[in-house]
Amino acid sequence: AFLVPAGIIACFLPLSDASSFVVLYIVTSVYFSGVMVRLMLVLAPAACILSGIALSEAFDVFTRSIKFQLPGISGTSQIDAGDASSGSVVTQNDAVKTNKNEDSVKERPSKKNKKKEKEIVEKASIKSQIEKRLMVLPLEASVIAILLLVLLGAFYVVHCVWAAAEAYSAPSIVLTSHSHDGLHVFDDFREAYAWLRHNTEVDDKVASWWDYGYQTTAMANRTVIVDNNTWNNTHIATVGTAMSSPEKAAWEIFNSLDVKYVLVVFGGLVGYPSDDINKFLWMVRIGGGVFPHIKEPDYLRDGQYRIDSQATPTMLNCLMYKLSYYRFVETDGKGFDRVRRTEIGKKHFKLTHFEEVFTTHHWMVRIYKLKPPKNRIRGKTKKSKSKASSTTTSRRSGTRKKNPWH
Amino acid sequence: MEGLLRLRLALVFSVVAHLSLLVRSSSLSSPELQIVNAERRIDLTSHIVRVYLTLKVENAGTSPASEILLAFPPTQVDRIALVKAAATVGKKKKKKSHLPLDVNPIALPVAPNGTKHFAISLSNPLGVGESETLEVFYVLTHSLEPFPVEISQSESQLVHYHDSAIILSPYLIKQQITVIKTPSTKVESFTKVELTDRAGTEIKYGPYDERPPYSFSPVIVHFENNNPFAVVEELVREVEISHWGSLQITEHYKLVNAGARHKGIFSRVEYQSRQSLSGVSSFKHLLARLPPRVHSAYYRDDIGNISSSHLRTDSRKSEMEIEPRYPLFGGWKATFVIGYGLPLQDFLFESPDGRRYLNFSFGCPLAETVVDKLTIKVVLPEGSQNPSAVVPFPVEQHLETSYSYLDVIGRTVVVLEKENVVPEHNSPFQVYYNFNPIFMLAEPLMLASAFFLFFVAYVAYLHIDLSIRK
Repeated sequence: AFLVPAGIIACFLPLSDASSFVVLYIVTSVYFSGVMVRLMLVLAPAACILSGIALSEAFDVFTRSIKFQLPGISGTSQIDAGDASSGSVVTQNDAVKTNKNEDSVKERPSKKNKKKEKEIVEKASIKSQIEKRLMVLPLEASVIAILLLVLLGAFYVVHCVWAAAEAYSAPSIVLTSHSHDGLHVFDDFREAYAWLRHNTEVDDKVASWWDYGYQTTAMANRTVIVDNNTWNNTHIATVGTAMSSPEKAAWEIFNSLDVKYVLVVFGGLVGYPSDDINKFLWMVRIGGGVFPHIKEPDYLRDGQYRIDSQATPTMLNCLMYKLSYYRFVETDGKGFDRVRRTEIGKKHFKLTHFEEVFTTHHWMVRIYKLKPPKNRIRGKTKKSKSKASSTTTSRRSGTRKKNPWH
Repeated sequence: MEGLLRLRLALVFSVVAHLSLLVRSSSLSSPELQIVNAERRIDLTSHIVRVYLTLKVENAGTSPASEILLAFPPTQVDRIALVKAAATVGKKKKKKSHLPLDVNPIALPVAPNGTKHFAISLSNPLGVGESETLEVFYVLTHSLEPFPVEISQSESQLVHYHDSAIILSPYLIKQQITVIKTPSTKVESFTKVELTDRAGTEIKYGPYDERPPYSFSPVIVHFENNNPFAVVEELVREVEISHWGSLQITEHYKLVNAGARHKGIFSRVEYQSRQSLSGVSSFKHLLARLPPRVHSAYYRDDIGNISSSHLRTDSRKSEMEIEPRYPLFGGWKATFVIGYGLPLQDFLFESPDGRRYLNFSFGCPLAETVVDKLTIKVVLPEGSQNPSAVVPFPVEQHLETSYSYLDVIGRTVVVLEKENVVPEHNSPFQVYYNFNPIFMLAEPLMLASAFFLFFVAYVAYLHIDLSIRK
């Protein structure tokens, strides 16, 4: 792990085809891993091989020294040794850790890992001296060095097991956090799916972003509109357009798909970063790719997607914003979103075409139901302005027509 | 001529008189019981209705009475979960002991308006002119109807209770009084017949004098009851006996909130911020009372493990507080599985005639819940014979066979089914069976011989020379 540079240099000593292949492999995989962190998977075998080479060379030197100096054994002078001075340095290394990268595909940035990688790369500038002459170290030194190398290996195993347990074994369906009084479990996803499973009709359809399609089908046992294996880009774009449109247009789209419930994932109360507002840019882009009336610049302010008071009106009126932040201001009085780290832009508003049927314990999953259309619509309906001033929540009853959807 | 006519008339008259005498004598040969004093207390504090009836019965007839009848209107009879009666013994007020008496449903040939009857069998027949005091206790389930049927999150739950101000009885009641206790002082309305009074949480009907048999005065009480209406629609309890030292129990629940149905929106922010006003008829926690020394308890459902549960054990009992994934509002359902293990020596005993028996408690371990359909399956180890179950109340029994690990002939399963189970049914029952201890060796011998044969075959294969040519 740490011994990778030593291994690279060890490869150059007898530069054969095999060792040059390994050196090229590690250089290219380091480049690709730097571009996309998931490609560390490619770096893992190369790093393992090189550190293995370094370790084996080190052991070679020490065991030869011991053999040479044991009484009764005559040593030959054909020993080619490289001196790795890393025996006395006990350091943390984690290249083998990348071996367990199969389930490290995470949405949330694993800041811990990135920091460690940088730290390792910085520390890896131990120069190793190579001397192409017969090197025999004193007996005690080499014995101690071998012991230290073995200890290094043992600690490394312990560290890898801990890293795999803590950092790489989190199932994305149950989230945990360590608070001052122990482990806090966020089981909101399963709570929402269990609620859907037991308290909705069997053939009710649930619309959500495609990430949750398989989970909904498996755990909630309900039909979804798009799931993880949907190849039909237009269908996903339809759902994306609906999430990016204002309430009435979204209701029309979902009604045409015979949807009963809409599910959104919201991490603003607890600080869960992989929620639907963070994925919103994809909904806009995919929707805009198929339906030209969704234009990405409408949602951007200075090239950024924002949800605070500087957000664009299209953004503040779209369905995803409304379903995520409906009555969110009543939790802390200010509507502070812990993921985006700002207060939300539009705080007090009412939903006209949807009603909230369930929100989980930590507000991570919010389920809404489509309101059925009223039987009669009197004459031409004036579109009701659902924006109210941020100080009052009550309707201005005198000045506008009663909303037929209420 | 006239004489003949008069003679005929006299004959007819005497025949009629005889017949009437016969009829009257048949009615006279059944004892004329009278209830001197009746006191009824109806407890409506939970969603299970409990009625305590104290009757002072006097035999005013000519022959001793061996049973006393209780009458119930046909709407209530379907919902009766259990009827218990006890006779108070002892004249002094402080030293009263109670002898439990058998109560059985009985069908009378003549019953006005479809009334159903239960007969209490007395231990000593009640002699002529004697009087006895009986304590009757019965439990009604599903008797509180939510009205309004659907409520929103911020409303509290109001229910209707239908009963009669006058105790329905096949005997004349000289003096009676009925007291209804509601859970809170919030009573919307109650039928006002004569002599009705309300004080705090108690509504009193009576005292009434001299009411003839089968008199009925329907009253309706409309009051607030926010206690959790936890009803388990179906419960399957599987008790597996393993003679290697443990008892494994698995319970499958289908829980529903049987109160007023929830309509409209569910707002989490209101539920979390205004807990005393929002969702008052919903419940979040359920308590399960388990025997002491329970181990390996788990609580999961179809999706996976539910982490919100607490198990507290001490030397006399264990309590498991479970929290379903979401709070249960009216009409909402949840299903889950609770499993745990118990040491066998607490529950398996040997009877004097050499049979073994399992002594376990019937009923649902959840507190204050009604079970609509309860099925208990006791899986006996392989090689058990002559299973039989002794249960203190009527249940339906049958036998099944189930196959588990290393089973050759299958395990006998004693299946007990009962409907309308309330917490008062949590009394022990026994399952007797014969078991030859030699059958305990069956499983280890099977495994040992399998491995032995495998190794012997391998050794033989190594040493057998199958070549045709040397």
